[in-house]
Amino acid sequence: MFQYYFKLGLHSLRRNPVLTALMVLTLAIGVAASISTLTILHMMSGNPIPDKSDRLFVPLIDNGPLDRYTAGQMPEDDQVSYRDAMNLLAGGHGERRVALYGVGDAIEPARADLGVIEVEGIAATSDFFPMFEVPFLYGGGWSPAEDKSAANVIVLSRKTSEKLFGSENPVGRHIRVFSDDFQVIGVLGAWNPAPRYTHLINGNGGTFSGNDDLFIPFSTAIRHQQDNDGSLTCQGEPGPGFQGRLDSECTWIQFWFEEKSSLDRSKLQDYLDAYSREQKKFNRFPRQNINRLYNVMEWLDHRHVVSNDSRLSTWLSFGFLALCLVNTVGLLLAKFSVRAGEVGVRRALGASRAEIFKQFLIEAAVVGLVGGVLGLLLSAGALYLIAQQSKGFAVLAHMDWMMLALTFVLAIIASVLAGLLPTWRACQVMPALQLKSQ
Amino acid sequence: MLHMKNLSKVYRTHMIETHALRGFDIHVKQGEFVTVTGPSGSGKTTFLNIAGLLEEFNDGDFLLDGVNVKGLDDNARSRLRNEKLGFIFQGFNLIPDLNLFDNVDVPLRYRGFNAAERRERIEQSLAQVGLASRMRHYPAELSGGQQQRVAIARALAGSPKLLLADEPTGNLDTQMARSVMDLLEVINAGGTTILMVTHDPELAVRAQRNVHIIDGQVSDLIRKTPSLHIADANASVAA
Repeated sequence: MFQYYFKLGLHSLRRNPVLTALMVLTLAIGVAASISTLTILHMMSGNPIPDKSDRLFVPLIDNGPLDRYTAGQMPEDDQVSYRDAMNLLAGGHGERRVALYGVGDAIEPARADLGVIEVEGIAATSDFFPMFEVPFLYGGGWSPAEDKSAANVIVLSRKTSEKLFGSENPVGRHIRVFSDDFQVIGVLGAWNPAPRYTHLINGNGGTFSGNDDLFIPFSTAIRHQQDNDGSLTCQGEPGPGFQGRLDSECTWIQFWFEEKSSLDRSKLQDYLDAYSREQKKFNRFPRQNINRLYNVMEWLDHRHVVSNDSRLSTWLSFGFLALCLVNTVGLLLAKFSVRAGEVGVRRALGASRAEIFKQFLIEAAVVGLVGGVLGLLLSAGALYLIAQQSKGFAVLAHMDWMMLALTFVLAIIASVLAGLLPTWRACQVMPALQLKSQ
Repeated sequence: MLHMKNLSKVYRTHMIETHALRGFDIHVKQGEFVTVTGPSGSGKTTFLNIAGLLEEFNDGDFLLDGVNVKGLDDNARSRLRNEKLGFIFQGFNLIPDLNLFDNVDVPLRYRGFNAAERRERIEQSLAQVGLASRMRHYPAELSGGQQQRVAIARALAGSPKLLLADEPTGNLDTQMARSVMDLLEVINAGGTTILMVTHDPELAVRAQRNVHIIDGQVSDLIRKTPSLHIADANASVAA
């Protein structure tokens, strides 16, 4: 019977075309408003590395002074100092460890016609590429040995590679950057995680927009005394020069651990706590040392990647959908009420109330399906307009298959909900009364 | 086929009670053609609605083809209505935006017949009323008499045991009314029991039995021999 009722539903769209068009449009607008804001929220709150997000951890150690400190106060900063980064790397805990910070400079291409190219990127330890599952188009990352020797090796983004070398494989070629010669050892494939969870605290673009044009070893950046492109927090005055920063308690490095399993979190916590206790012996960490660990999704939450404004606008758009539904209820009531005669006839010919209920609810769902198609088009238009607002939105305003399917599911659920009252009313028709009055 | 004993039906509002049927007794045998007459408000339509399981009654007993309908739920009543009853209304009650084929298809859908059987029954019943060639037409494209024939085809498609007709000729001119009546007599001759409400005394006397209702009760029964009329009807349809 579903097929029969579906056919009747399609047939019914042609009946009262103005009323049908109004219902479809009302639903489509409500669905488009909800789906476009939900798409943004979905993209913002998506898991950028689902297969290991629960076993990648950001450690935070409170190395602040006692000055203006009250017991139990949570640390203010979300990065670690160079000393702690080095100690944690040397500690060898977990499967992998990565210390990283943002760097920026200008490449002086061999081809004079290209001019100087401003670039931004990441200085990271060698585990960066396997830890974050970074794909390579050519070559690969550097080795721990190259980390140790602070080698002048560089990995380029595909865009930078094409800018400098066209479509050829540049592995083995040299470029001049950071006032030195670097050998290209790899070119990234398509890798543009949104949000940029590996280094949310950055100086190029922000959480969603911005590009990492190149990657160099952490130790190489230190050897070249590269300042960080991002936030630097110091609780006191660091010593003079770059070495002064390295020796200070200033926090400017982002650190990641990869554990074998999410269950190893407690071991990592114990390790951090033991590290804090050990460091206290060197007159460091005067505070209570509430060491914190965040897995990827907790880290995104902690950094407020999804803003309250985004959540609010999603709630508001669903409120708007509810308003559209109320309108649709009224329109469906009008559409179904003129069909009391048909209900009477169908009841007389053997339709139970349950069958009438199914028929009219499926008709409402068909309206939802058409509303979903129009809603999808309107959503695409709305997302296009949103994408024009900023680079960050341009990254987010894309509908994936899940949101595409959700558009139809939402439209059908909305129309079925809107159809409940009118359908129930249709089922209450007294056939005897209708048949005589026809 | 239809047996009502001491049946009563009361319509209640917060102000008044109206006894539409009281102490209502009737027995219609399989294959009978019974007309129901009576003044307006006498209870004819209420009787037909109860007989058609479109309304419930307050008291008494009602057996339809041996099934006690008292206390049946909506699903059971609907199934019984679909399997055993056919309806013909004064206003034809065709669904205007379905073509003749789909109109006749409606009761067959609820019966759960497969597509092939439905098609066969629809074609057969439309052919029986002389409209096989117009099955893709819409009701608005037909005359009143033709629409009533479609309604009859729809009622017959499910092979009902009892055909309930509520003033089926009320909206037709005399010639069309006679033609429809002729058709009903042919159907009755085929073994289908017919219960027809009418105001037309000419049509009433053509049935085998006329039941007269006054104030919600059967007042008198007029019986006659049906053979002559069936023969006439056959001749009329053949013509």
